[in-house]
Formats: sequence, structure tokens, C-alpha cells
Amino acid sequence: MNRINSNVLISRLQSDIREIILLCHDLRQQPAYILERMPGAERWSVAQVLEHLNIYARYYGGVIENKLHLHQTTAADNFTSGWLGNYFTRIMEPGEDGTVKRKMKSPANARPRTKPDSGEMLSEFLQHQHQLLNLLEISRHADLNKIRVPTTLHSFIKLKLGDTFSFLVAHEKRHFIQILASLREIKAEKFDQSMEPSGHAL
Amino acid sequence: MQVTDKDILKNFTDALLPLPETDWQAFSAGWQELTVKRKTVLTAAGETERYLYFVLEGVQRAFYLADDHREATIVFTYAPSFSGVADSFLTQTPSPFFLETITASRFLRISHDCYKQLILESRPINDLFFKATSLALQGALLRHIELQCYTNEEKFRTLLKRSPHILQIVPHKYLASYLGMDATNFSKLINTVRL
Repeated sequence: MNRINSNVLISRLQSDIREIILLCHDLRQQPAYILERMPGAERWSVAQVLEHLNIYARYYGGVIENKLHLHQTTAADNFTSGWLGNYFTRIMEPGEDGTVKRKMKSPANARPRTKPDSGEMLSEFLQHQHQLLNLLEISRHADLNKIRVPTTLHSFIKLKLGDTFSFLVAHEKRHFIQILASLREIKAEKFDQSMEPSGHAL
Repeated sequence: MQVTDKDILKNFTDALLPLPETDWQAFSAGWQELTVKRKTVLTAAGETERYLYFVLEGVQRAFYLADDHREATIVFTYAPSFSGVADSFLTQTPSPFFLETITASRFLRISHDCYKQLILESRPINDLFFKATSLALQGALLRHIELQCYTNEEKFRTLLKRSPHILQIVPHKYLASYLGMDATNFSKLINTVRL
């Protein structure tokens, strides 16, 4: 089930991440009050989404790095998804048409603060993306099947390295669809009411 | 006899500096094929360029994103020529540019490790890369003159003389950015300049 050439998978994930880095550069050009504004009640600002993604990237960046440090595996031609990893990636992955199918609730330990600093969140996020690109490159010489990475759900629940990467990138892609949609809404709203930046103080 | 990708590479490098047969064998073994879709980011800003590309098909562009919403297209590449973020590749420091494919593209590419080994082991290969780098530097400096001293019309004419087919394959907003003018001025030139 779901067998793919390891190098093809790594290249695909790397190019997804580069796409996300490109979008981050667009975000960097937005003023902070846009990035820190919630698009509606109970809905996250762009800065909050980034903090949410940073929470995952901090954890997985660290554990993947540890797992790859001094690993004893050799590269395998193919990667086969585990059933759980495959399931996680599938529910995260946005549809072909670039829409998010199922809404999900984030676990309590991954919820962002109320008003994180957008500049800080963005530069931290970018750092994580570059780290991920490097870890993926290092993984070309590792076995994506044999190395297993504990999840944030429980340290006993482990995913294959290839699944961890796939899941993580799918999760980021999903939230970037959310970010772009929020930005569109916030800008439209700003246009409608021609509100001044100072009007957003609350 | 069928022309292989490596033959195309050989035609290109022979025009720069022909390699002795044994050196060519070592050189050509280092290149691997890569096919990517359109609009694929090959190198992101902040990343260190790991590869030197040789374009077989497609068009690519390197661009810089400034913090004030402006985007500058620095260079286009297409077959047959080298591609990749040259400064980052040579210095192994983070790239200030993004490199992306404009159309679906096919390449041969060589890793920096492999390149380094080749230039250490073979004098002719070292000379070849030096020649290619020198020409790239010459091109970049000439373009600097164009950007600073030419009128919009002169820039436009020079571009079309150098790459006549580029109007058909590259979106005009990128061409305008490459020439350092805004899109409206560029479309005026297309409609008025007689070639």
C-alpha cells in the first residue's frame, strides 16, 4: 500500500516546503496588524496559525534531528507508508483543488497564545522550514521506513520517518490554505469598512 | 544515431572548452537527470544552492523579493545553458534569490560535492568551469550597464536581439521586471517598437 521511491518523495516534500517559504516571503510584506488580526470570533490570526505550526515544528524538528544523528540505517529505494501514518497524512492533505475538506480541532497542547508577535512567529517558522529542508536532504542517506519517530500524541505512538515528514508537510500546506483565506477575508473587510489600522487596537 | 542528453551537454561544453576524453568521462558521469513541473521552486531564498543545473527543456527564472512588495527578476535560463543560483553555488552561502521553473523543465544537474571533487582532480575540468564562470560574470556586468545606462527602448531591443523567442514563453510581467520597468511601459514598447 502506498509505495513510493524514497528520493521522489523527498524531492516532492522539499519542493512543497520551498513553496511555503515563498508564501512566507509574501507574508513578510504584510503589516503586523493584518497578520495579528483574527478573521472572526474563535478564529486564529495568521500569527496564531504560525505559532501553532511552530509548536509542531519545534517538536518534530528536534526529534527528527536526534533520530538522524548517528543513525545506522542505509537508504532504501522505496518507502511504504504505515497504516497510521498514511491515515494521518490523508486526513491532513488538502484536496487536489486546494481546499481543506474536513475541519479539525487542534489538541490543547498545540493551541497558540492569544496574541503572538507576527514578526517573531514568521522568522521562527522560516528557520524551521530551512531546518526541515536540511533534514530531508540528510534523510536521502537514511531509511525512511526503519527510523521511527514518536508523535506528539504519545511517545509510544510512533510513525515511520517518511510518514512523519509527509504528515508534517501536509499539515503545513493545510494551514497555509487557511492563512491565505484569512488574509483575503481580512483585506476585504478592511476595504468594506475602510477601517484605519488604529481601529484594530482591540 | 540518437542524440542523448549528455551529447547535448557535450556540444555545449565543447563550445566553451573541449575536454580530453578521460576528463569528459569523469565529468559526464557526475550529472543526473531531473524533470520538474512548471512553477516548481528549485531553490528558496535562504537555502544554499546544492546543484549546478544544465537546462535541457523549459524556462526558469531567478528572482529577488524585496520587503516593499517588489519583486525583481534577475535572470532567465533556458536550453542549452547552465542554471542554478550561481553565487550561492560557488560560495556555498545562502541564496538571496528564489529559483523557479516558469514552464515544465528537464535538466541534468551535478551536486556541489561532485563538482568540487572534479575541479580538484582535473585541471581541464577546472579550466572549463572557470571559463563558464568568467562568461557568466561578464554577462552579469554587461547587464548592469544595460540596466543603468540604456533607455527602456534600448533595453527592450537588446533583450529581443539576444533572446528573440523569449516574448512567447515568458510572461510579460517577468520580462518587465527583468528590464527594470513597469508592466505598462513594457506593453507600450511591444506595441510601438518596430523590430
